[in-house]
Amino acid sequence: MRRPDFARTPTFYSALTVASALLLCTLVLFGLVYRQTTAYVMSKYDALLVDELRVFASNTPGQLLQEINDRLLKDPQHIKIAGLFGANGSRIAGNIEFLPPGLAPDVPTNAVVTRLDSGERKAQNVRVAERALPSGMSLVIGRQIDEITEIAQIVVRTLALGLLPAFILTILIGMVLSRRVYLRVMELNRKIQLVVTSDLRERLPTSGRGDTFDQIAVSVNRMLGDIESLVREIAAVGDNIAHDLRTPLTRVRVRLERGRANASTLNELSTVVDQAIGGLDQSLAIITALLRIAEIEHNRRLDGFGQVPLGPLVREIWDLYEPIAEDKGIALRVNSTDEATVYGDRDLLFEAVANLVDNAIKFTPEGGNVTLALLSRENGTVVQVKDTGPGITEIEREAVTKRFYRSDKSRRIEGLGLGLSLVAAIVKLHGFEFVITAGPGCVVEIICPQVH
Amino acid sequence: MPPNLSAQGKHAPSDDRGLMEKSTALVQNSHQDKPRVAGRPESRPDSHNATFADMTFWDGSMATVLLIEDDKETAQEIRAELGDRGYVVDWAADGVEGLDKARSGGAEVVIVDRMLPGMDGLTIVQAMRDEGVRTPVLVLSALGAVDDRVRGLRAGGDDYLTKPFATVELIARIEALLRRPADSRDTVLRVGPLELDLMERIAKRGDRTINLLPREFRLLEYMMRRKEQVLTRAMLLEEVWNYKFVPQTNLVDVHMGRLRHKVDEPNELPMIQVVRGVGFILRAPA
Repeated sequence: MRRPDFARTPTFYSALTVASALLLCTLVLFGLVYRQTTAYVMSKYDALLVDELRVFASNTPGQLLQEINDRLLKDPQHIKIAGLFGANGSRIAGNIEFLPPGLAPDVPTNAVVTRLDSGERKAQNVRVAERALPSGMSLVIGRQIDEITEIAQIVVRTLALGLLPAFILTILIGMVLSRRVYLRVMELNRKIQLVVTSDLRERLPTSGRGDTFDQIAVSVNRMLGDIESLVREIAAVGDNIAHDLRTPLTRVRVRLERGRANASTLNELSTVVDQAIGGLDQSLAIITALLRIAEIEHNRRLDGFGQVPLGPLVREIWDLYEPIAEDKGIALRVNSTDEATVYGDRDLLFEAVANLVDNAIKFTPEGGNVTLALLSRENGTVVQVKDTGPGITEIEREAVTKRFYRSDKSRRIEGLGLGLSLVAAIVKLHGFEFVITAGPGCVVEIICPQVH
Repeated sequence: MPPNLSAQGKHAPSDDRGLMEKSTALVQNSHQDKPRVAGRPESRPDSHNATFADMTFWDGSMATVLLIEDDKETAQEIRAELGDRGYVVDWAADGVEGLDKARSGGAEVVIVDRMLPGMDGLTIVQAMRDEGVRTPVLVLSALGAVDDRVRGLRAGGDDYLTKPFATVELIARIEALLRRPADSRDTVLRVGPLELDLMERIAKRGDRTINLLPREFRLLEYMMRRKEQVLTRAMLLEEVWNYKFVPQTNLVDVHMGRLRHKVDEPNELPMIQVVRGVGFILRAPA
C-alpha cells in the first residue's frame, strides 16, 4: 500500500524516530521504577518477617499459640499468615492449610499457600519465613504480597495513561509538521515544474519569514533570473544575427542571380563569384563579430590579462591606420605623452581602440582630422579618439551608449556596424568607462580608472 | 609555366582549365605594367594578380599532413583540397588514433580540431609536446572564444585557425608551417634583386635604394623571410602588426599597396603579387 505523501517526508521520519525513542526511554524508566519499588517493599517485608519470627520463636509453646491467634485476629484485612506445624507436617495452629514446601530456615521466600480463615480455602501469593522450633515443630510467619502486583498494575496503568497519549501526540505533531513541509515543498516543486515546462518568468514564492525555504527560494529565484536573462540574450543574439545577415546574404543572392543571367564570359562570371565570396565573407565576419561580442560580454575569463602599456599601443594603432587615413586625405595624429599602464588584455584593448580609429576615419570627410590621444586626467588615463566628422546625434548617442550590442537601434545607424558594440563589450569587460560626447565632430573616450 | 600547374590541371574539372590557363597567362603578362594608383590595390591592373592555383607550391607539396578531425564532412573537404594540392593526407577521426599517429612521426604537419569526441584537441598537442614530438601543429576551432587562440598557442600549437575558414587560408598556413623561416642570423636578406640590410636598415633593389618607413621595412622583412610563399591578410596582421582580429577596413591592402609601390617601380618586373582572394606573395622575378 502506498503511504500518504506526508508520511514520505524526512520530517515525518524524524517524528517517528523521536516518538519511538521517547517510548523506549519511558518504558525503561518505568521498569526501573517498578523494580526499585518492589525490591524496597520486599526488603521491608523481609526484615519485618525475620523480626516477627524471632519474637514468636522466643515464646513458650503456650504463649506461641496465643500469639498466633492474636496476630491473626488483629488482621481483618487477611494480610498476615501464621502457622504452627508438627514435625510430621500436620497443622497445629494458624490460618494456612499446610506447610509450603521448599522453605529454608529464617530466609523469607515467595510461596503459594492455602488460606483457611476467610471461611473457605483460598490460594494466596505470600512471603513467608519458617523456623524449626526446639520442640520439633515448624513455625511459619508470612504476609500476602498482592501489593507488589498492585504496584505493577499502577505502573502499567500510569504508562497507559501518560505514555500512549504522548506517543500519539508526537506522531500527530510529526504528521502536521510533515504535512506543512510537504505542502511547501510541493508548492516549490510545482513552480519549478512550471518553469521547466513553460514559463521562465515564474518565480518561487517566499513566506516572508526568512526561513530556510525562503533562502532556497531566493537563491533559486536569483538563478532563474540569470537563466532567464541568458535565454533572452541567446534569443537576442539569434535575432541580431538573423537581422544582420539578411542584408549581405540578399546582396549575394542578387549578385549571383544577375551574374548567372548576364555574364557572358568566364571572366565576368568569376568577377561575380569573387563578389559573392566577398559578400559571404562579410556575413561570416558579422557572425564572428556577434559571437565575439556575446562572448566578451558574458565570459568573464581573464586569461589574457596583464599589464598593458598604453603608449606603445596607441602608437602601433596610429602606425597601422596612418596610411589608410592618408589615402582618404585625413590627417591622423597621435598624442601619447602619457606612459600609463593599465591592467587588461592587450589584444582586446588594441582591437577596441583600433575599432574607434577605424570608425573615426570612416566617418570623417576628406580634409578632416582624426586625433588619437592618451590623456592623463584626475579620474584616470583616457584614450581619446576625436574626429571632425558629422558626429553622433544626442538620440543616437543614447541608443549607442545604453545597450550597444543588443540595441537594434544603434546597429541600424548606417555604417556603425558592430564596431562600437564590440568596443563597449571590451570596455565593460575591463571595468573601464566608455563615453561618447559631442565635440565638433565626435569624441569617444575610454576612461581607465587608475587602480592604486 | 610553373612546374606543377599541369598537375593542378589534372585535378581540376575541365571547365576550370580555361580559367586557370588564363590566369597563368595573366601572371606571365604581368611584365607589361601600366601606371598604378597608389594605395588602391583593387584598382591595380589585373596583371599583378595571380590566383591561388598559379602558386608554385614548393617541393614540400608531397608532404604528409596528419588531420585529426572527427567531423567526417569537414575532414573529407580538407582532404580533397589538400589532396588536390599534392599533399598526402592521413586522417584520424578521434583523438586517441590521432595522438598515436602523431607520435609515430610520419607527418610533416598536424592539423588538430579543438573539439574531438571526449577530448580537447589541445590535450593532444600538449601530449605531443610533452613527449618531445616537434611536428608543427595547426589548431582548428569552431570556438570563437576570446582567449582560445592564446590558449591554443600556449598549449604548444604553432598556429590557430577559427572555423569557418577559407580553404586557401588553411593551405597558406600549412605552407607557412612547413616552411618555417630558418632562424637565420643573416643580417642581410636577399630575394632576387631585392636586398634588405637589417643592421643598416637599408633596402635596395639592384642599385636602387628604397626608402622605407619602419612599418614598411618590417613588412618587407617578414615577406622576404617567407619568399615564394602565399601570405594571407590575416597572417600578415597577426605576425607583422600583432593584430589578432580581422578589421573591417582593408588595412593590409593599403599597407601592401604602399610597399609594392616602392618595391616594384613601373619599369621593373613585379615582385609582390596579389593572390586573388587569398593574399600576397613575394617572389623573385622570373
